[in-house]
Amino acid sequence: MKLTLAFDTSTEEVAIGLGKVGARGVHLLGETNINVPRASLTHLFPAITRLLQSADRTIGDVDAVVVGRGPGSFTGVRIGVSASKGIAQGRGIPLFGVNTLDAVAERFSGRQGLVGVVGDAMRSEIYPALYRLSGDTIERLTGDAVASPPMVAAEWATLGEPVLLSGNALRKYADAFTGAMGDAAIIAPEALWTPTGESLLMVAWRSYVRDGLGDGDPGTLLPVYTRLSDAEEAERSRDGVSGPSPRSGVAGPHATGDAS
Amino acid sequence: MSARVRPLVETDLERIVALERATFPSPWTRGMFIDELLQGSSRAWFVADSPWGLLGYTGLMEVEGEGHILNLAVRADARCQGVGSALLTAVFDEALRRGLDRLSLEVRPSNAAARAMYEAAGFSEEGRRPGYYSDSGEDALIMWTGSLASEPMREAIARVAERASRIGNLSIDRGDGSGVAGAPSDDVILAIETSCDETAAAVMRGGRELLSSVVASQIDFHARFGGVVPEIASRKHVEAISGVVDEALSLAGIELKDVTALAVTYGPGLVGALVVGVSYAKGLALATGLPLVGVNHLEGHLFANVLAEPDIEPPFVALLVSGGHTSLVHVPAWGEYHTMGSTLDDAAGEAFDKVAKALGLGYPGGPAISRLAAEGDPAAIPFPRAMINTADLDFSLSGLKTAVVTYIRKEQAAGRDLDLPDIAASFQAAVIDVQVSKAVRAVTETGVRTFLIGGGVSANPALRAALAKALGARGVRVSVPPFDLCTDNAAMIAAAAHFRLGRGETLGPSAEAVPDLRLD
Repeated sequence: MKLTLAFDTSTEEVAIGLGKVGARGVHLLGETNINVPRASLTHLFPAITRLLQSADRTIGDVDAVVVGRGPGSFTGVRIGVSASKGIAQGRGIPLFGVNTLDAVAERFSGRQGLVGVVGDAMRSEIYPALYRLSGDTIERLTGDAVASPPMVAAEWATLGEPVLLSGNALRKYADAFTGAMGDAAIIAPEALWTPTGESLLMVAWRSYVRDGLGDGDPGTLLPVYTRLSDAEEAERSRDGVSGPSPRSGVAGPHATGDAS
Repeated sequence: MSARVRPLVETDLERIVALERATFPSPWTRGMFIDELLQGSSRAWFVADSPWGLLGYTGLMEVEGEGHILNLAVRADARCQGVGSALLTAVFDEALRRGLDRLSLEVRPSNAAARAMYEAAGFSEEGRRPGYYSDSGEDALIMWTGSLASEPMREAIARVAERASRIGNLSIDRGDGSGVAGAPSDDVILAIETSCDETAAAVMRGGRELLSSVVASQIDFHARFGGVVPEIASRKHVEAISGVVDEALSLAGIELKDVTALAVTYGPGLVGALVVGVSYAKGLALATGLPLVGVNHLEGHLFANVLAEPDIEPPFVALLVSGGHTSLVHVPAWGEYHTMGSTLDDAAGEAFDKVAKALGLGYPGGPAISRLAAEGDPAAIPFPRAMINTADLDFSLSGLKTAVVTYIRKEQAAGRDLDLPDIAASFQAAVIDVQVSKAVRAVTETGVRTFLIGGGVSANPALRAALAKALGARGVRVSVPPFDLCTDNAAMIAAAAHFRLGRGETLGPSAEAVPDLRLD
């Protein structure tokens, strides 16, 4: 059982969890979830310190760090990822990344059927991810992408079964989904639209059981962006480059692929 | 650490003039000191030198078998530690060697500390010079010793020598801003810089000894956009930061556990780029329990000059000129900054980049234009010198950029070939003329004898030469950092952090990046 500190700053919610993660599951020691839009850099570290204190632990007791890699607010994701690199490198402990949307889907663990998570991607776009929940398992059906809300809603309307919808993009686009999907769109309570400290630890545990977590090198962990910088996107459309944008990083001098 | 007293040499002159100005309300001018040095054997001057720079000086004038103490100054942060006594001891020794009978000096009646020191050294009041001090109209007290060979004077001289021995174990740690030193001299600082498009880390011991400096440049990723793309810069910082820090530690031959403090640039700069460094550094601080010092990027540029020329001391004026900044800053003491003027629109580096883009020279524009300009005629095209005659110290560069672009269009429309070297040289000359004119004005207004240039554009050879010529002719020392310290780096951040750490200034866990952080 490794004492694991997990956090995510990809949304307006700073989610922090402290727990023991082992082969059989997560033993949660404590979590803090605070709504601090655009202020995660201010609140993250004091909140981590308070959580460790309330669990009667110090940072020196922590064996591993887990961080939400996004997708989400670019700056928000980078605050969490950079902070996690500093902590892991400073302590010489492994760092593992989890997908922020997975940590939202995790909040519906135990239910049956489809869950659609839509993260706010700004500029009238969303990060959609579709999951099938069955028994105790959560299977992700789609990759990371950025898309327009009507396109995603239209696609999910063709699935032929109800979709439980979650994610912070619903604050802006719930109507687009209920409009296109009718009764098949079930909007989850707003309190379940963001990751929590516990759900981050649960996703880490699932990855660990399924295929291990990777080498834990803080140097190589990167955010999930799903799109390039505006400058590069404009260049791609000008140059007629088609195909999906690299998931993380920068396209590189020739704009041909994922530089990361 | 210790100081020692030695005879003054010519290269001490600038530092003495600076200390004189910092110490006395009506200071001797540089010219007066030069006259003194030309007096030959009738004079003897001594300085107290130390690893923290010059701490004080004094001069002895021999007149008909007696001696007169010309001036005695001790740097503010080194007072009450035996430096004055050590200088007096050197004067007594010299006077005894020359066989002088008595010593005299003048002192302000209001300077109680100095009078007490002289009285303890055997001086007593024997007269007044009415209205001697021109700044306040104050009288001067004339103090004389007894005969140096007399028993009371021999005892007084021995007491002064005993107090002087304290400079063998000097500690200058009050961090009152008058010295660069402050933090423990053996601190090991790991500094991180991500304010723009360079990811940098450096390790420095004692604020001076650079153990490593690593800079991961992103220029290739921004070049095709003709300027820094903030989102790309932020992404590259996240990719590079862990590796850059690991490399800095490894090149320094140390591990994180050997580090005694962390430092990070928290402004000014691109907010998305700054938060990567600040988040990461706060993570390191949480994990290690080390203090984290927040550094103002612009203060870092000032300390880049000190790294190259350790004897640089305030007061001075600095021209900070880069892709993001163009300002003139008056620095009467370390930590005390007054921005005298700055650009109202584009930064100088930005103007270079935009003109280079218009000329199809690529990014970054500074080096490209500077190379071309070397072959062109700076007087070929009369581009405007905006605000060169205004009484303030502000700059405006966007009009110049527009004038160059308009000129290019006109020439092209007329079907003429562009003379790129002439355009580059004429544009560069217009930028430099204004910078030099404002620099001269700032130096004249403040009366400083030292001028610093910092920031990426300070790598421009023509700008360096023009400032050195204009200010050098006025007897002002011009300090330019070596080329690798002009552009962004973390060595300068570590040096500034050493100073801030000495003042006990650290960042808390809720610290933010401050993109528009000011120097004053």
